[in-house]
Amino acid sequence: MIDFPAFGAAISLLAGSPQAWIWVVPGLLIGLVFGALPGISVSMAMALVLPATLYMDFLPAIIFLTSVYTGAGFGGSIPAILINIPGTSSAVATTFDGYPMARKGLHSEALGAALVSSCIGVLISYIILFVLVQPLAEVVLRIGPFEMAAIGIWGLVLLGSIGGSTVAKGLFAAAIGVLCGTVGMNTAGYMRGDMGIPWLLDGVPTIPAMVGLLAASQLFALVNAKFIVENKENRTISLRRILAGGRLVLGSPGTLLRGSAIGVFVGAVPGVGSSIANLISYGETRRSSPDPESYGTGNPRGVIAAESANSSSEGGSMATMLALGIPGGGATAILLAAFAMHNVIGGPRFMEQNRDIVYAIILSNFAQALVLLVIGAGFVFVASTIVRLPLRYLIPTVLVMSTMGAFAIEGSIAGPLTLLAFAVLGWLMSRYGFPVAAIVVGLLLGKLIETEMLRAYQLAGGDAVRVLDYPVAVGIILLMLVSLALSLRRDLRRRAALKTDTAAAVD
Amino acid sequence: MRRRVSWAPLMLVTLLAGVTVAYLIEARGVSLSPQNLLLLQPTAWLVLLLWAVLAIGYLRTPVLAPEEGPAESWADVGRVVAMVAAFAGFILVLEPLGYDIAIWGFTLIALIIGGERNVIALAIFPPLFSLAIVHGFRLLVPYPFPTSLI
Repeated sequence: MIDFPAFGAAISLLAGSPQAWIWVVPGLLIGLVFGALPGISVSMAMALVLPATLYMDFLPAIIFLTSVYTGAGFGGSIPAILINIPGTSSAVATTFDGYPMARKGLHSEALGAALVSSCIGVLISYIILFVLVQPLAEVVLRIGPFEMAAIGIWGLVLLGSIGGSTVAKGLFAAAIGVLCGTVGMNTAGYMRGDMGIPWLLDGVPTIPAMVGLLAASQLFALVNAKFIVENKENRTISLRRILAGGRLVLGSPGTLLRGSAIGVFVGAVPGVGSSIANLISYGETRRSSPDPESYGTGNPRGVIAAESANSSSEGGSMATMLALGIPGGGATAILLAAFAMHNVIGGPRFMEQNRDIVYAIILSNFAQALVLLVIGAGFVFVASTIVRLPLRYLIPTVLVMSTMGAFAIEGSIAGPLTLLAFAVLGWLMSRYGFPVAAIVVGLLLGKLIETEMLRAYQLAGGDAVRVLDYPVAVGIILLMLVSLALSLRRDLRRRAALKTDTAAAVD
Repeated sequence: MRRRVSWAPLMLVTLLAGVTVAYLIEARGVSLSPQNLLLLQPTAWLVLLLWAVLAIGYLRTPVLAPEEGPAESWADVGRVVAMVAAFAGFILVLEPLGYDIAIWGFTLIALIIGGERNVIALAIFPPLFSLAIVHGFRLLVPYPFPTSLI
């Protein structure tokens, strides 16, 4: 599995090329800043710096871009925790517990936990990539539409009742999200729900909708508060507490390893990547926890699960890109563009003939994860000052930046209009106890599930029984049914307990 | 046990169920092919089923059960509604008025709603913020956006 001569060549390649190292720190910093800006995605950050790599040698160029990738992967979690805006779609699950932690004054701990989970997640994913790059890529090729649809539905059902709401409310919110995700033209060419608006043919713009649901709706609810953290003593920013958050990660190795494994394998599937990995990891951690009710209210394990998965999906998507030449998402597509700019064609032949360069990229990512630990801690320390800003300034500032971010993504007024519609929907639904995050999950997964179900339907010729020919898909569906039954049982028990309490109060 | 009707959440779920029915009818009007309705129709039926479950609950809320929604005074609710309205107005005037004026106006109104009464802060922060945002995003974003003054 490990080609030792190539490994030795990779070490000498990196040792003899100081140029390859000087771009790591600037790359990480650029990634952190852009990842932390709402509306600027990882791929946008990489696209902005791509022209600068034209004049670099091939290896430094790729190392610079992967540094931006690694930095932005973590950067997205900073606004997710501090202001409930997932900087990228892969930080959605980080908001579920990260933001409640910040509201409780545990922002330093949440950011520390996110940073250390991210760094260890990146390390684990590249270790797996280092050992299993070829077999992993071959497994990925065997995942078809049946398995993909099952993975999508699994992610949706796992998160049916986020944040302690009832299963009915969670499923209602998720189903509304799925319906929003089906708006526009589907892969079979049918146009529904576009209301004659041309830009809705491509579907509801996901990122503006997500920012509207999660952030703008929360900001409306905070209009009457003075600060994000109400208690003045808790508004301190402390490196000691950031490190304490990091120690929480080391105390939850199971959550970390499960998140990293899910991240690598789901991240390796082209087109799915980190935006689902963090949701599945969060849902699985919550499901298997002895106290699932504590998730969504500020449980650090929720942050660890989400962050370890979204960072480790970087290694997974790199495996598909390096071994097969298939970009798993926007970021790896830009890496492939950088390959092309240097007259290098990614894929099996590149992997076979340039294994030393592949190993050098992997080794450099080990170093990036370690450097991120130091730079990220400093960055987090500065970013945390946001909790000291009065909300009367923070609310308009963040709303305007989100609006401009929504415009930047769509390039038209479609982004801000979507942001507004979903901000109002999210505000109303969260006001009456519906988990807004479930709508986001439905929206993110709705389109994917429909596309994969359609492919599966076409492959099976409309015969639903053909799903039995795909044991992995059947296994995922069974797992999902068990998970749903457990959630329902918990809900019924809680309702019975509430009924007993109410009866006791009446007596 | 005494019961009451929780009107506000009942109206919200009913509105969403109504939109779902309208969407389902429109989608069925496009085509009845399974390739059109494979996910959409079962999900719409699920929404309607869950609406029934939730609506029954809202019609028969026990009086002793906690109130749905946050406990706020009318003044608090008024400030939130004013902020939502200001934000809606901001988005709608972005193109007609220009991004610079819209950002300046919204920031000023939002600061006042938020309770800022310092006249100097109200005079300085909104135009400087508008200037910084417009110039910053012009550097970052490749698309042009209309402005009136800057």
